[in-house]
Amino acid sequence: MIQISRYLSAISSGLAILAALATGAVLLLTVGLNPARVYYELFSRGMATHLGITETLIKMAPILMVSSGLILAFRAGLWNIGIEGQFLIGAILVGWAAPTLIRVLPHGVALLILGLVGFLGGLLWAVIPAVLKARWGLNEIITTLMMNFVGLNLTTWLVKGPLRDQTVVPPQTPVIPLQGRLPFVPFTRIHIGLVAGIICILAIYIIIKKTTFGFQLRVLGENRKAAIHSNINVSRVTILVLLISGGFAGLAGANDVLGVKGLFQAEWNPGYGFASIPLVCLANFNGLAVIPLSYFFSFLIVGGELMSRAAGVPIFFVQVIEGLMFLYFAGGEYFRKRKAGIHGASILL
Amino acid sequence: MESVEKPMNSECSEYVVDMKGITKRFPGILANDHIDFNLRKGEIHTLLGENGAGKTTLMNVLSGMYQPDDGEISVKGKPADIRSPHDALALGIGMVYQHFTLVPTLSVVENIVLGYESHLFLDLTKAEKGLKGIMSETGLGVDPHATVWHLSVGQQQRVEIIKVLYRGSEVLVLDEPTSVLTPFEAEELFKILKKLILVEKSVIFITHKLEEAVRISDRITVLRQGKKVEEIELRGLKEIDAQRRMNQIIRAMFGRIQIPHTVRESRDISEKTVLMVRELTARNDMGFEALRGLSFTLRRGEILGIAGVEGNGQKELAEAITGRRKIKKGEIELDGTSIANKGIACASRMGVSYVTDDRMGEGCVGNLSLAENMILKGFQQEPFSKYHFLNRRSIAQHSSRLMEEFNIKASDPWTRVNALSGGNIQKLLLARELSTHPRVLVCCNPTHGLDAMTTRFIRDRIKAETRQGTAVILISSDLDEILELSDRVGVLFRGEILSVSPSDEVKREEIGKLMLGIRN
Amino acid sequence: MGLLSFFDEAFFVVLFGTSLRASTPLLLAALGETYTERSGILNLGIEGIMLSGAFGGFVVALFTESILCGFITGVLIGLVLALITGFLTITLRVNQIVVGLGITIFGSGMTSFLFRILFGTRFPTLPVMATKMRIPLVADIPYFGEAIFNQHLVVYLALALIPTLHILLYWTNFGLKIRAVGENPVSADAAGVNVARVRHICLLLGGMLAGLGGAFLAIGDLSFFVSNMTLGRGFIAIAIVMLGKWNPYWVLLGAILFGVTQSLSSGLQVLGVDVRPEFILMLPYVAVIIALVFIARNTFLPSALGVPYRRGEG
Repeated sequence: MIQISRYLSAISSGLAILAALATGAVLLLTVGLNPARVYYELFSRGMATHLGITETLIKMAPILMVSSGLILAFRAGLWNIGIEGQFLIGAILVGWAAPTLIRVLPHGVALLILGLVGFLGGLLWAVIPAVLKARWGLNEIITTLMMNFVGLNLTTWLVKGPLRDQTVVPPQTPVIPLQGRLPFVPFTRIHIGLVAGIICILAIYIIIKKTTFGFQLRVLGENRKAAIHSNINVSRVTILVLLISGGFAGLAGANDVLGVKGLFQAEWNPGYGFASIPLVCLANFNGLAVIPLSYFFSFLIVGGELMSRAAGVPIFFVQVIEGLMFLYFAGGEYFRKRKAGIHGASILL
Repeated sequence: MESVEKPMNSECSEYVVDMKGITKRFPGILANDHIDFNLRKGEIHTLLGENGAGKTTLMNVLSGMYQPDDGEISVKGKPADIRSPHDALALGIGMVYQHFTLVPTLSVVENIVLGYESHLFLDLTKAEKGLKGIMSETGLGVDPHATVWHLSVGQQQRVEIIKVLYRGSEVLVLDEPTSVLTPFEAEELFKILKKLILVEKSVIFITHKLEEAVRISDRITVLRQGKKVEEIELRGLKEIDAQRRMNQIIRAMFGRIQIPHTVRESRDISEKTVLMVRELTARNDMGFEALRGLSFTLRRGEILGIAGVEGNGQKELAEAITGRRKIKKGEIELDGTSIANKGIACASRMGVSYVTDDRMGEGCVGNLSLAENMILKGFQQEPFSKYHFLNRRSIAQHSSRLMEEFNIKASDPWTRVNALSGGNIQKLLLARELSTHPRVLVCCNPTHGLDAMTTRFIRDRIKAETRQGTAVILISSDLDEILELSDRVGVLFRGEILSVSPSDEVKREEIGKLMLGIRN
Repeated sequence: MGLLSFFDEAFFVVLFGTSLRASTPLLLAALGETYTERSGILNLGIEGIMLSGAFGGFVVALFTESILCGFITGVLIGLVLALITGFLTITLRVNQIVVGLGITIFGSGMTSFLFRILFGTRFPTLPVMATKMRIPLVADIPYFGEAIFNQHLVVYLALALIPTLHILLYWTNFGLKIRAVGENPVSADAAGVNVARVRHICLLLGGMLAGLGGAFLAIGDLSFFVSNMTLGRGFIAIAIVMLGKWNPYWVLLGAILFGVTQSLSSGLQVLGVDVRPEFILMLPYVAVIIALVFIARNTFLPSALGVPYRRGEG
């Protein structure tokens, strides 16, 4: 049964991607663009060039980290949709602390501490929703959503005000020197964030499957009432899950500041959260399935950017594909569930 | 086997409802196997059978909740295609479900007009008038403006009946209506049903209680394991014939399987008190006082039966003792140590176990495996886990052992609980709770909705457990169960326990009165 | 200058008038979402629907030079996207969060893509302006008159919708059905209510209002379109609905709270008060959280919110 359902899951994801690409082709034709050329540029530049592959793998790192946190939360039935805010807070704290720490501490130690700072930043931003949920059962969808907007405005204010690098014109934190950033994986131009991301995903996979904490959060996610009645400390699990989930988002922020951008900039929001939520659902909350999906997803972003420069198609085209992919997948989920004989009307898929 | 056709007069001979060859399959179960069933105008026709015999399924087909896989239905002589409850209502068929289908946040009138009126604006005054007409005609009384969740179960049932009548239903289907009522309320219901027949309504009455069926029916159809096994005419029969019919029905219901009825053995119950409950006061989820200063003691190896109608504080009592509900006043002592307000973890560590009657809600996690559900409470202990990591092998072993001991039928320990039958799920819960060797076991309606064999197994298992010294609090709305198992019986009424007495001294009727709060 | 001029009538009229106008897209979307959620559907796609409405409305208004055609287009686009959402979440019973976010990502990508295709890097503005309708007499009431009664037609429509929707919800048979379906779909079904149909209708209403709200943002409040111009208003609308306890009147209050803070952030700067706009823009979100803690802690969510319904299941 589980085998069949996994097999079907892979097929339906594949079909959803194909259907999205086909619909995209129709759209391109309608506006007078040549879909063959656009997809050729997209795939050849994104998947068959050194630059495309490297950039895609770099992009995967934060998505894997964010997804780790999301899987943990969703498995526990907690809808943390405050990833964006948690990401930004983690990022700005790292952007603020990095220049000093890297100067005074040995490189490795500094990076480790900064990773921790990012994690704690994201974690901090999940404290309020977590406590409100555990203490009063306040709907976390709303509180985390609100915290996103608070976080966005707060970080903008901070980077334009107190944390601003006064020596340059655009509002940003001081630039981290190149030698202070994340080191590369040997023989590549991919920084070690990717390795960290994969470790995160694997760790989450093991935690959920093999540990008592994972067991408790699965029980909580499947049946909250049963969790309460089986002496699981529901408040404790709720708080821990939301905090760790936020922490991973913050870690992704640290990764992007230390590995990609080298600073924190005003009006910068890569929007990993809203994209990763359907992604994680597409993977059926399974950590291993997230790895190939996040690869495809990063490829779309990176390939889209390269393609848009080469073929003169607006970058937003890949976002259309992304949205379509999720909608087609959602439709396919219905048939997959019917085939696999999974019933039940839980809010989870 | 042949049905006794005895048309009383020409009016009655016509069938209001005629179901032929109804077949309904669910994954793995043939719930209805070519069942024929009909109803004459102005009669009470009872569908009798054990739980799981297919009675409710058959009526859900009639009321449009399910679509039959085979068979046809005609209403008043015309073929009917019933695709939804809406269609059924339009044909004059109204069903009163066992689990009420009222919206708790709406008022009585609102519930009654819901889905019926097609005008743009709500006309509650008109509805109220119609309501009062029905009430005076049938003797059903209820406050039209009350919000439904404020009403007692008996009152809610009346609302359901009024709702169905308000829609002009001529055929009333009542699914196990007495299971939630006190003996007194049940009598009232029977009177109402008799009145309904006088005003030309027809009633299909679903029950598993033989006595009831014989008392009020004009006709009885017996179902067993999805098949129709007997149809018996009762109207116009003499007393002696009725007795013979009764035996016929019993044979039909239970087939050749004789359910061994174990005789209560006299046991020595130690004088040692295990649990002491003093002046216990607690609130329900709505914030009203559900337990009002009740006290009792429980001795080692004893079964204390708590009888009473649902909703008199049963749930709250069980939850307070097992650490699930905060108490306001009073004391709960286990071997002299207070366990009041200490939480679930503490209570279960001290040896208080709880078999809930909300099996799929609180009891287990449907999407997890049987094995995982077995360790739902003990997952933190060795050998199930060590250093926070689960030990899959010992979990499976533990589960296999219990599956064998409790005769739980599943292909392997990793079967998902959703795929198990109700009886196996209940055995799972009991196995899990007893595997911790509790000192006090609290059971709520342990055999509700189960078939006769599982019921027997579970009752025997509970009894066997007391021989090892476990004390049991048996909270049940099934009076027969209480009288069969208990050493002492108490009646819970509006949050108080009225008289606890040894079970061989109590009389059924007395308990029935106490359940209504009538004290001598 | 300084804070005293806050009480100056002209300033007040501008502040309150603009707040009301700026809150209108939000109010429309939130009113629609009130119905959607009441019937048991959480529609996270309204952000995408608003954006699409804004884009479609703007483009049509630009080419036809008719504001009215723009609004109609906005409503129609909302209708279509709501139909898709409804098909997936109600008919196929797919997870509402995934579908909602999918619609939002799609809407945001599609509008930005088409805008770039149509206009490249230009940012055209509408040649026609949405005309205000001044209602005589009442508009002469000091302070509030000019602010409330000299507005665009859609603003009046939004305001008129509040009591209308309230009456529809509490005084009509259809409203009763909506309340029942969101609370207990099993019971509603047994009572003969077509659960799926009620939900579809509520979702469509929500979609149309969100589309209109988006169109008003682009062609009524402003007169241009930019990528992601709704700035999360769809999500804010969802928050307002919860804050307003699913009651149209309270929803108005929530919408105005957001509108006021938005006008304040610019208004205070005009007055020369040195507060960073981000700080003020942050306040309504904080307010929502605080309000939820104090007000909504004890409210009942529609019990069946977010749960798909299928007969004979649960």
